[in-house]
Amino acid sequence: MRQGIDRRSLMKLGAGAGALAALGVSADALAQAAAKGQLTMAFPADVPTWDPNARSLAAVQSLYKMVFDQPITQNPDITPKPALATKWGYVDDKGLALGLDLRSDVTFHDGSKMTAEDFKYSFFDRPRLPTPEGGRKLDTAFIWRRVKDIEIVSPTRVVMHFSEPMPSAVAWLYFLTSYVVPKAYLEKVGVAEFEKKPIGSGPYKLVEYQQGARIVLEANDAYWGGKPAIPRVTVELVRDPTARTAAIESKRVDVSVDVPIREAARLATVPGLTSMIEPISDITLLQITKNGGFADERVRLAAHHAINKEALSKAFFNGAAKPISVPAAHNTPGYPEDYSFAFSEDKAMALLKEVGHGPQNPIAIKFSSPNGAFPGDFDVARAIVQMWKKVGIAAELETIELSTYQERLRANTLPEATLFSWGNAAGDPEMYGGYLLDPKSIFSAMKSDDLGQKFQPLLVETDEKKRLEGYRAAHRFAAEKGYTIPLYQTVKTVVSQANVAIVKYDNGLVLPQTFSFKA
Amino acid sequence: MSRIALLLLFRRTLLAIPILLCVSALVFVILRLLPADPVAMSLPPGASAADMEKLRQAFGLDRPLPVQYVIWLGKLATGDLGVSIYFRRSVAELIATALPATLELVAVGLALGVALGVAGGLAMFAWRGRAGEQALDLGAAGLMAIPEFLWAILLILLFGVAWPVMPFIGRLSPDIALPAPLTGFLLLDSLARLRLDVFASALAHLALPAVALAIGVAPLVMRVLRSSLLDVIQEDYVTQARLRGIPERTVVVRHALRNAALPTISLIGVQAGFMFGGTVLVEMIFAYPGLGNLMVDAVRNHDLPVIQAVGLVYCVLVLGINAAVDVLYLAVNPRLRTPA
Repeated sequence: MRQGIDRRSLMKLGAGAGALAALGVSADALAQAAAKGQLTMAFPADVPTWDPNARSLAAVQSLYKMVFDQPITQNPDITPKPALATKWGYVDDKGLALGLDLRSDVTFHDGSKMTAEDFKYSFFDRPRLPTPEGGRKLDTAFIWRRVKDIEIVSPTRVVMHFSEPMPSAVAWLYFLTSYVVPKAYLEKVGVAEFEKKPIGSGPYKLVEYQQGARIVLEANDAYWGGKPAIPRVTVELVRDPTARTAAIESKRVDVSVDVPIREAARLATVPGLTSMIEPISDITLLQITKNGGFADERVRLAAHHAINKEALSKAFFNGAAKPISVPAAHNTPGYPEDYSFAFSEDKAMALLKEVGHGPQNPIAIKFSSPNGAFPGDFDVARAIVQMWKKVGIAAELETIELSTYQERLRANTLPEATLFSWGNAAGDPEMYGGYLLDPKSIFSAMKSDDLGQKFQPLLVETDEKKRLEGYRAAHRFAAEKGYTIPLYQTVKTVVSQANVAIVKYDNGLVLPQTFSFKA
Repeated sequence: MSRIALLLLFRRTLLAIPILLCVSALVFVILRLLPADPVAMSLPPGASAADMEKLRQAFGLDRPLPVQYVIWLGKLATGDLGVSIYFRRSVAELIATALPATLELVAVGLALGVALGVAGGLAMFAWRGRAGEQALDLGAAGLMAIPEFLWAILLILLFGVAWPVMPFIGRLSPDIALPAPLTGFLLLDSLARLRLDVFASALAHLALPAVALAIGVAPLVMRVLRSSLLDVIQEDYVTQARLRGIPERTVVVRHALRNAALPTISLIGVQAGFMFGGTVLVEMIFAYPGLGNLMVDAVRNHDLPVIQAVGLVYCVLVLGINAAVDVLYLAVNPRLRTPA
């Protein structure tokens, strides 16, 4: 038998490899696509449904905002700005009637005009439609339950009437699920067909959707805000962070979202790539209970004083995770910028000494953390365990699935502390402390009457100045009483090719309609 | 197909019913015993504890476990796999969309793994006692030592980043529109529609995930085939063939290989079953929209109806492969065609 490779075999092999390479993507394919105005983005999550009113999932709002519009939107610094509504304001002194003027030049992707009827349908009629058997209500049904009517004053003027004050209503109009859908089209085709061929009034039209794989969008020429600079966007749904990193590094995509922080820092040094590693309005905190060793306020406060948040930020987030003293992001209305909760091991040890504990005689607590659900979660938790050990808190760390967290939260059986990340793209304080600390909220772990006294009046406070001041004070109160251990603002990473100009949003939204190709 | 083969398939089908019932009951009970609440996971701000209870009732999660199981089984018998809690779509529809992609991936991965394994096994046999055999053996050990998902990442880094010649995201290039599905099998659909650009792109996108899966199969096939050939080559009929002056290559291919193939076919059947398990992570890494990716989403969101149904589909696929292996056995081994 003849062995080894002769010249002919080698040529055959070469031709085979060439053919294989030809099947692949050439290195300059991206540049060619960019020249045609096509942008490809690797994104970590898919929409559960193309009905934007159905589910309140923060991770996919960027996708919905490409196809659908909200009454109000946000500037990059997350302050509100007009969108479908040009003006808004309460028209009574009890906070029960919110008037909105709507644009007259908005059309849906099928060419039909957006009017006040569509607004009423989206925020009043639709949430109240009967639920099919075995089905579930739209999330807008929970969120807008206090709307008792929407009065259509004219095709461009509506008044939302509330059964009780809903001071966060304006913020909700630019938050989760608050998208205007076309009434006529939805009623004509039904929900199932709408989910297959969704129509909005947003900057892009959906032209192709492969569930779990990719979304192809084309610019809406008739967009009221002007046609987006990038005519065609392909969103590749890539769940694995390593693959998202490889995709941007190999120039197969123009933009990659939620790249692991260390990789994003490394890619920043790669010629032709730009990395954005920034804190956003989402926060990471320890959800605290009064169970076990945390029954005593002094132990909870000691646990808070013992955590060096700056060190966590430097160790795990390239220094980008901005430490917070209250459960809100800096520069949002509920953050008391004049207040700081000190990192002090001495204070922590002094407080623990008062209750008879110290490094030699540590107090035992249970601590849970997801592993991989949020950036760096379990690593951060392990570091906190070491910080606590130093002052006299022996924490037994266990991994917790998010579904288990929710089950325990509901049953009030969470351990003393659980690491958790909380999303709030709107930045309104009600969506921070109002949900996280009000003992009546299904999201609060700490059930304490004095927190209820602080937060519940704010949920119906119609004087905006008093409301915001109230939240700042209540957030501070919660930190001072050891009812929460806020850690830092969550970090968002976006890596892009250098020829793509990206607009950074402080709430972490990644909106291709605001991107452009650099000349 | 012979009468014996049909009988065998009939027996297999009958046997599959209790197996499927056991698997479905097991999956159902385990999922419900987990301390996780799919309803609590999916409620928006503004929902109250009462809303949570109502939703639990709507999904039937408030009923006793046996009642829930019987209801689910009753619906299953009519082809109703329920509605996904997360996607709000029919589970059957979700599976019908994802399944062809996975079957296509496994088929290509398995074909590649078997081809490489058989070629390697024959090469090892041909080079027995020489350095070539040892090198292949060492290579096989190295391939087996690394799990599929790690191969997936290594292949991406190698052929996607370091030497960027192969695509590794999804099923098609971004500049190619997905043709309207006929069967859902992209390779078949593209050929049927004479879209060679789609075919080439789909094949290229299949290459790396299929190789990642094939690497798990090829070394085992290679080693088992080599061992079987070494056993068979000692048999009298092989010696007889050699004495008749038949060339060595013909002796191996026509006489020895056919008998040596039997244990290899069994192994391939087992490995094909494992391969479906391997697709879960491989599909996620390559952003490949198949059953594995659907399963990952369902597990993350504790989407009980989808997890149950996908689990059951995996079970059906493994049982189907077992039946196919039995039929293949019959085709290859004439002794089995004679009733005992």
